[in-house]
Amino acid sequence: MKSTLALTAAAALLATTALAEDTRQLDAHEHGTGALDIAIDGTTVAMELRVPGADIVGFEHAAESDEDRAAIAEALTTLSTPTDLFGLSDAAGCTVEAATADLETEGAEDHDHDHGDHTEEHGHDDHGHDDHGHEDHAEEAEGATHSEFHAEYTHDCTAPEELGTITFAYFDLFEGAQELEVQVVTGDGAQAFEVTRDAPTLDLGGLF
Amino acid sequence: MILRLALASLAARALTVAMTTLAIALSVALFLGVEKVRTGAKASFADTISGTDLIVGARSGSVQLLLYSVFRIGNATNNVTWESYLDIAARPEVEWIVPISLGDSHRQFRVMGTTEAFFERYRYRQGRSLEMAEGEGLGDLFDAVVGAEVAATLGYSVDDPIVVSHGLASFTDHDDHPFRIAGVLERTGTPVDRTVIVSLEAIEAIHVDWRGGAQIPGRSTPAETLRGMDLTPGAVTAALVGVESPLQTFALQRAINEYPEEPLLAVLPGVALQELWAIVGVAETALLGVSAMVVVTALIGMMATLFSSLNERRREMAIFRAMGARPLTILALLVLEAMLTAALGAGLGLGLLYAGLLVAQPLVDAAFGLWLPIEPPALRELWVLLAVVAAGAIVSLLPAIRAYKLSLADGMMVRT
Repeated sequence: MKSTLALTAAAALLATTALAEDTRQLDAHEHGTGALDIAIDGTTVAMELRVPGADIVGFEHAAESDEDRAAIAEALTTLSTPTDLFGLSDAAGCTVEAATADLETEGAEDHDHDHGDHTEEHGHDDHGHDDHGHEDHAEEAEGATHSEFHAEYTHDCTAPEELGTITFAYFDLFEGAQELEVQVVTGDGAQAFEVTRDAPTLDLGGLF
Repeated sequence: MILRLALASLAARALTVAMTTLAIALSVALFLGVEKVRTGAKASFADTISGTDLIVGARSGSVQLLLYSVFRIGNATNNVTWESYLDIAARPEVEWIVPISLGDSHRQFRVMGTTEAFFERYRYRQGRSLEMAEGEGLGDLFDAVVGAEVAATLGYSVDDPIVVSHGLASFTDHDDHPFRIAGVLERTGTPVDRTVIVSLEAIEAIHVDWRGGAQIPGRSTPAETLRGMDLTPGAVTAALVGVESPLQTFALQRAINEYPEEPLLAVLPGVALQELWAIVGVAETALLGVSAMVVVTALIGMMATLFSSLNERRREMAIFRAMGARPLTILALLVLEAMLTAALGAGLGLGLLYAGLLVAQPLVDAAFGLWLPIEPPALRELWVLLAVVAAGAIVSLLPAIRAYKLSLADGMMVRT
């Protein structure tokens, strides 16, 4: 068991699922509020965004219609383009090194894997957090399901200390998003900020 | 010219002016004092821990975990099992990890079990590390290192024996296994000053003969036997963690928070401090508000005395006017007098503050572990003083305008 844990996050999730009988825990989930973690080390600026599905696409149930699927696909595309979401100051000289986005479903997942009765070629081996397969269980999963968009960005900045103020076009792109709880970690420590729809800027000036 | 007049006029009413000045001085000293305590407390809290990326403990609240692990305020809801501790320690993101085991006490001070790494890794006040004032670190199983305040309060020095009590407010001592003070730490201004530090194994060792919170009667394992035993602890209270790179902080935090075998919590000390401050902040704003109101009250008091003095000074004003002083001069005279009074009060208040600080500094430090630095007034404080003088001028405008309007007619007319 322990060795499994040392593996990647996906593997850990898999392990949780396998233990579904004796481990019951769920993350907190608040609609309207997402979390943005920013870590700065040297010239690397890593960002990790976790937002409830309701904030991004307006629903959290498994995609049922083609519109649902289209909305999710579009959201994932938008979330994969950090330059559209967050305005980093030019002085910092940041370039995007990597950007990924996916959709994680919590609560319904236990059902899926336990029953294991959904068919298909793309079923078990990747234990995906995507939208696949869930429609089979839409009825039983509904109500218990929460989904969360999860995106990771890595920037390489020539002068991260020049980051100054970050602007959040994010709020213009996603109508349901009201607030982002931001945590910033540098070599000197951690600090928390709150960025809201009404005040969509983050001032990092005090950090450096 | 007006200045000389104003000064002379103030001197002529020395007693009233002195009272008004005193009221303003006290209120200013109170306001600055509250501000000083507020910033001092904030700085002292923020300076307590630095260099630690995550604090790990049983799942509770981030503020609670911070309070009991770093500030020794309150108690842990649960312990962290040694297996979980080892699991976390083995993760690739972890650069260093320092276990902390709390629960026993010595007199009014907490005893903390930890490892040698604590002395290397613990940082306070922007990265300062712990220094020994005398003696050295933990060598033997029954060695203890005490904080500066423990040594000062109880008069301890190196090689003195020290007996640890079981629990926090208890009369049962671990007197079969006295410790030896191996070192005394330099004063840090942090809760470490009020802590007795022993090794993690020693905490286990003194509890070998204990079952269910009490010593097994008649049983006391000799120290030599204990030294030969396997003293791996079953649990620790919390752990301080340093990560390899800030980039891994969040991943490690999430992994610990989602650790399936045991409900654990990892917090970022800086963020937890901010949360704590958001809670305390309401009270401090209220305190600051109250002391600001006291300053306003003192200034209104000054306005009242100015109004009543106008009556006494009817003739004086009239004579000035008759001698050719323009109404504006009268206005300026009164405003200047008020400003001088306020300035005198503000200056005296600053003096009172420093006198108070000199007296209170050691007392506050001893009672609350709060070090209030005595430094020249900051820009912010000078602005406060300036604001008091300006506010003095503003409140005096009302009586001054009245005098400006009435000075001639009022004083010349004979009233019956």
